[in-house]
Parts: sequence; C-alpha cells; structure tokens
Amino acid sequence: MRIGVFVCQCGTNIAATVSTERVASAAMALRDVVHAESIQYTCSDPGQRTVIAAAHKYALDRVVIAACSPRMHETTFQRTMAQAGINPFMMEMVNIREHCSWIHSDMEVATEKAIDLVSMGVAKVRGQTPLFSSHVPVVSEVLIIGGGVAGIQAALDIADAGMPVTLVERGPTIGGNMARLDKTFPTLDCSSCILTPRMVEVKHHENIRLMVNSEVEQVRGYIGNFEVDIRKKATCVDEEKCTGCQICEQKCPSEAPDEFNAGVGETKAISIAFPQAVPLVASLRKEYCRLYIKGKCGICKKVCPADAVDYEQEDELHTEKFGAIVVATGYELFDWRQAYPHYGGGLYPDVITSIQYERMLSASGPTGGHIQRPSDGAEPKEIVFLSCVGSRDESIGRPLCCKVGCMYIAKQAILTREHIPDSRTYVFYMDVRAGGKGYDEFYRRAQKEAGAVYLRGRVGKIYPRGGKLVVMGADTLVGENVEVEADLVVLATGIDAAAGAGSLAQRLNIPYDQYGFLSESHPKLRPVETTTGGIFLAGACQGPKDIPETVAQASAAAAKVIVLLSHDELETSPMIAEVNHMRCIGCFKCREVCPYHAIEEQGLRDGRRVAVVIESLCQGCGLCTVACPPSVISLRGYTDNQLIEEVTAVLR
Amino acid sequence: MIPLSETLSQGRELVAEIEHRSGQKVADCYQCGTCSSTCAAADAFDYPPHMFMRLLQLGAVDRAMASTTGQLCYDCMTCSSRCPIRIDVADVIETTKNIADEQGIRESERGLRLFRNLFLKNVRRHGRLHEASLLAWFNLKSGKLTNDLSLVPLILRRKNVRIVQPRIKDRAQVRRIFQRAKERPRW
Repeated sequence: MRIGVFVCQCGTNIAATVSTERVASAAMALRDVVHAESIQYTCSDPGQRTVIAAAHKYALDRVVIAACSPRMHETTFQRTMAQAGINPFMMEMVNIREHCSWIHSDMEVATEKAIDLVSMGVAKVRGQTPLFSSHVPVVSEVLIIGGGVAGIQAALDIADAGMPVTLVERGPTIGGNMARLDKTFPTLDCSSCILTPRMVEVKHHENIRLMVNSEVEQVRGYIGNFEVDIRKKATCVDEEKCTGCQICEQKCPSEAPDEFNAGVGETKAISIAFPQAVPLVASLRKEYCRLYIKGKCGICKKVCPADAVDYEQEDELHTEKFGAIVVATGYELFDWRQAYPHYGGGLYPDVITSIQYERMLSASGPTGGHIQRPSDGAEPKEIVFLSCVGSRDESIGRPLCCKVGCMYIAKQAILTREHIPDSRTYVFYMDVRAGGKGYDEFYRRAQKEAGAVYLRGRVGKIYPRGGKLVVMGADTLVGENVEVEADLVVLATGIDAAAGAGSLAQRLNIPYDQYGFLSESHPKLRPVETTTGGIFLAGACQGPKDIPETVAQASAAAAKVIVLLSHDELETSPMIAEVNHMRCIGCFKCREVCPYHAIEEQGLRDGRRVAVVIESLCQGCGLCTVACPPSVISLRGYTDNQLIEEVTAVLR
Repeated sequence: MIPLSETLSQGRELVAEIEHRSGQKVADCYQCGTCSSTCAAADAFDYPPHMFMRLLQLGAVDRAMASTTGQLCYDCMTCSSRCPIRIDVADVIETTKNIADEQGIRESERGLRLFRNLFLKNVRRHGRLHEASLLAWFNLKSGKLTNDLSLVPLILRRKNVRIVQPRIKDRAQVRRIFQRAKERPRW
C-alpha cells in the first residue's frame, strides 16, 4: 500500500492559518504514507501535474488531497487520478479549508486540527477498494406532464431533436392558462394568435403523441428507465371519430359551468372548451349531463353526424416506459373568497377576478370582447383593480409575490381604455414590480397613456351602495384615505400551484414547497432539475413565472432532457449501497426507509428472499445502512470499517 | 378622505388647464420624491412638492390651490432641475398658484401677496433689492408699523441691511426685463 498526501495551500486561504509544511511532514509519519508535500494551488494545472508526477515517481496506489470541500473539486481530482492511472475512487479529499482554515484564527490549533483531519483521511483511504461505475441503458422516449405553454415548448424542442415525446394533459385541450389570455404584456400581442400555431404544431408533429383527458397515476423506475401508468379518462366521445362540428354542444340541454371562461357565461355538459382547442374534440362531463343525472336524454348521441358519442366508453390505463420526465403542470389562481370577506367574499357579483376580466376582454370570449358588469350587463365606467389579493399577505399565510399581477393589471388597464374610452381605471398597489425588458415602460404607459390612477395602498373594504361598489382604500403618497365609487372591481388574485401538484410530486418522488410549487435541485445552478435524476421542471409549476420565463425554462428543461437522452447508456455513481446477500435476513426495513425506491426484493435459489439494491436508482444516502438490523448493508466508499478506522485515527 | 370618483371628475378641467398652461403632464410624475427632498422650503409647505403633484394627480385641485406650497415657493427651480423625468415642478406649482389668484382664492398666509408685489416693485425701481425700503413699505402697507421694529438697531449695526446702498449701473435694463416679462404670454 503506497499512499501519497498532498496538502494544498490554496494561496493564503489555507496557508495563512494552517502550516501546510508541518501537516505534510506529520503525514509522512503515518502508516503506508510514502510521499507527502505541500502545493500552492493543487487544483491548478501545474498543481495537478505535480500530483501526477509524484504518483508515478512514488508508485502511489492511494492519494489523500487535503484542500477544499469535495463539493468544490472532488471531480477535478478524480480526473487527475484517472490521468495518473489510479482508480478515481482511491482518492480521498480532506477539507482543511471550509472545515479548518476559514473558521479558525489560531495557527497552532488549526494546524493540529488539519493534521488530525489528514490522519483520518489516510486511515479511510487505506480501507478503500477500487470502484467502477456501471452503465444502464436509457429509454429514448420522453414524458411531458402538462400541456400549457411550458409543456408545449418543451415537447416541441425535444421532438424537434428527434426524440419521441408523449404529452399528457389533464384537461380536454392543450394551451393551458395562456390560451385563456386576451393579450400579453408588454407587447400586447394577442395571446392565442401566438399560442395556437404552436398547439397545432404539437398536434401534427410526427414525434409527439398527445394524450388529453389523461393523468399520470403511478411512476416507477429511475432515470433513463421510468415506467409510468397513465389513465386516459372516459369522455364519452371517440377522439378519432369526432370532427369538432359542435352540433352536440348546440343541442345539449344540460348547462354546465364554463371552466375555460372562469365562470363567465355557461357552457354545455358536452362541449369543446374553445374554438381553437387542440385536439378539436368534444368531451362530456357526466356530473352535469342529464343522461347521468336523470337517466334520460341521449340527444348528443342522436345528433352526432360522426357517430362519435359513446356512453359506454371506459377509462383506459396505459403503462409506458420513458427515459426522462418533464413536469409542466403550471399554476392556477388563488381562490380569494374565503380569505377576503372584507372584499365581499364572492357575494358581490361585480367583484370579479382578473382571469374573468381577461375572458371578457377577449374577442372570442363569452361576451364577445365587451366588458360588462355581471350584475346588470351594463358597461362599467369606473373600474378598480386591486393588486396582491392573496399575495404578499402573511395574515393568510401567503407571503409570496405572484410576479405577474403588476404587469397584467397594467395590461388590463390599457386594454380597458381601448375598450371603453370614457372609462377611468384605478389601481390599488403596494409596490409595482415591473422588472423585465420593457416592463417598466409598459406600466408607465398605463399611467401616462391610459390614465390609470395608481394608488399606493391596500384596500380595506368594499361594500355596495346605490348600485355601485364603494372601495375604501388609502393613498399613502398623499397620506390620506381615499374612496372610489366603482362600477366594477377586478381582483388580481395570487398564483397557486395547480391543484394536485403536491400529490403528483409525491408520485414522482420530487420535493415541493408549502404552496405546492415543485422544488428545483439548486435555486441558482440547477434551476430546471429536480433532486430526482431524470425528472425536470418547466414553467410555473416551480414558482410564479411570466410567459417569456416559462418558455425559457421549458427550453432549458428540453435541453437537459436532450443531453440526458443523447447517450444510449448512463453512467451511475458507484458510491451506492450494497447488500451482503449471504447475511441478509429479508426483513426489508431498508426498503421502508429508502427515499428513492431503490431496494427490491429478490428470491435466491435456496428460496430465501433478500434485498437487492437497484444500482441506477440508489443515490448513496446511506439510510438503509443504518436501518439494517444485522448491519449487512454497506455504502461503497463509506464502509463501516472505513468509518471506524477514521474515528480510531482521530482518537489515537 | 378623498372621494376619488368625485375629485377626478370635478377636478379634470382645472388639471387640464394647469397642464395646458405649464406644458407639463401631472400623470408623468411617478412620486419618487426627489423634488421634495431637494426643496429648501418644503418644511414650510403644508404639502411638499411631490404631494402637491399627487394632489393634482388625484384631482384634488381645490386643496392644491389653497395650499401654502404655491404661496411660499420662492421659485428657486431646484425641484425642476433635479426631477428625473424632467417635469417642471416649479412651473406646475406656480401655474396652480396663478389660477388660484385668478379665482380669487385667498391666501392662508397673510401679507404674502403684498410682500410679493412690493418686492417686485422694489426690484423694478432700484434695479436690485433695496431691503431697507422694502421693509419700510411692507410695514407701512400692511398697517403693522411696529412690526420687527426692535430688530432695526441690530440689523443696522451688523450691516445686514444698509439704508444707502450702491446703485446698479443700468437700471433701465432691469426695467426692460420687467417689460419683456409682462409682454410674454403667460402660457
């Protein structure tokens, strides 16, 4: 056994508080150490060359590098080892910077500690065995969950790269929330005009399979090899036969709430969400259908010229294999009614949400682009917008900023002036957050050109008086209370994760926060990855986002997927758990504690049932090794013996 | 409480008038507060310049016209020169004040208009300010003859104010400036 120890000075980062020369000479006294030296910058090219030269000269078979955190440079030095012809896992990094020099000031003490740390590293590397990465094959198909603009963008990017994509959407059409918007800030281009061509592209792309009315039920497997159960819900309409003629919708006698239009207007139990829906196929909602409620109807089946209506249709369960998953489940608007009784709590018909207002602004919306008071259909003249309803409000446990409210209010104020030139708009705000290209200019345009009166303060109360709504607020700029007699009040409601995002995250085994937003692996450097390999995030499912950000993130996720699937095989980390089958008692405590579902049961030829680690899934966290009652699971590179040796070394 | 639906409707015409005469748009102001933080007289105003602008934005012209801001502002123009969006704040304040005068709105600070008129008259006559005579005229015209009389020995002794002061070279030129200002259209 020939061990080399290299003590890094890291310029003065380490050398200022630790005498690296003394550490190196102390290391020489340790068992099996045949060479030790101090290097100014070990990670630099000359530094690495010094290590390689020493490895050859002293015929080293194990190396200890006392430098910074392995998070910083472990891969660097593993590469150095490979160049020196040593197994990369025969190198142990000892952190004498973050754990020693940076946190101490007394040179004497710090040097003593560094010597202790190095002796632990030497003790550990003595018990090290060469480890080798294994390879697992990769399924080249990609699953995208959610058909909003994020899912659409990711699907098209990945499909364009030549990889087959399955796009699963819960609702009857793709397009998501963006399809419901009238115009987009800050350019005021028509939302559906820019989105629907992309939707049609998805429909016709040879590499994309579109599954609407479908939900992901279960996810098994691991990076490169996911197995997913997808339930395609029965809609009583044959997707292949339906031509989208909408005769069924016209003749259907059962009214149903119009979810696409956020409750502005009504639709029928059998309907198509909107004229540009993709796929353009009707679907029936049994909970509103007279046939299912009263047992007698069947009109849609009779009138359908394509014979597409099929009441016997049943849910289909598909099980598919995927190499990677992109989650793009988007957002929904916060339901404000419970939280804001002082705004009427939903009792006043003329207090509406911003998405309802958006649908009214839309020329293809239920009012044909006419802004109407829900109470009497009159054209409102005094319109008040309230920002941060359900945002930045700790009293209801929602301190988050919705990020788009300020901008869409500005947009709606500008559009209001276009729709009703003699109207006046008021905006109650706390701050105007308009960070983005052209955003501040756009919001100023709302004030300057559309004459929106911005009032800095939260609204305290709204109450009806003589056919109008009195909005009581304050303007802190002038330091006084203000009051508006409004015809219509529009609430810029906050953003929530889509319903069910949390339970989907549990099925996918990825973390999520208290609002249901899915968590990225690193907020700065791994923004589209999750902590589970092979699962990526796109769009507002990760946190509130506007359209450009969503599209950018979707393309980023697509790029990550393409990188992953550009290899036929994946290299897996060899530092994973290993079960000694001879001594396993088959209790499967390990399977219970494993957060990655990386333990499976296997029968041996002698009939015993034992635990087996799925190598590609194990992340090497070590939970199973401590849970195992007979202690027969060990973590490669961190075996019990190695750890005991380390402790012994420091206690010596 | 400011009833916005009311003030904005009723104040609309006057705000438009102020904007027209001053050539400034009150909606342009984004309430950064630079004008007020740079104003040397803001502490004396009931509404510092940014709040004065805010009143106009909210249609509360009546309050702006009655405020002491227009009366006490000495037109140093610092607010206008520092405004990041180049609103001529001083002009807005002065225009509002002029309209208030035209409407016969009485000043809350007594003697201000008298002082202003005497001041201008004094400069016109002497070509520069002759402080001693201005003080004398002010006391005479305001009817408060003994006002600040006890200070006279002190300021004379310290030579803060001189009774005889050198004349400027070309008084006619100053008069011509006054003449031009009078002939200039007010907006």
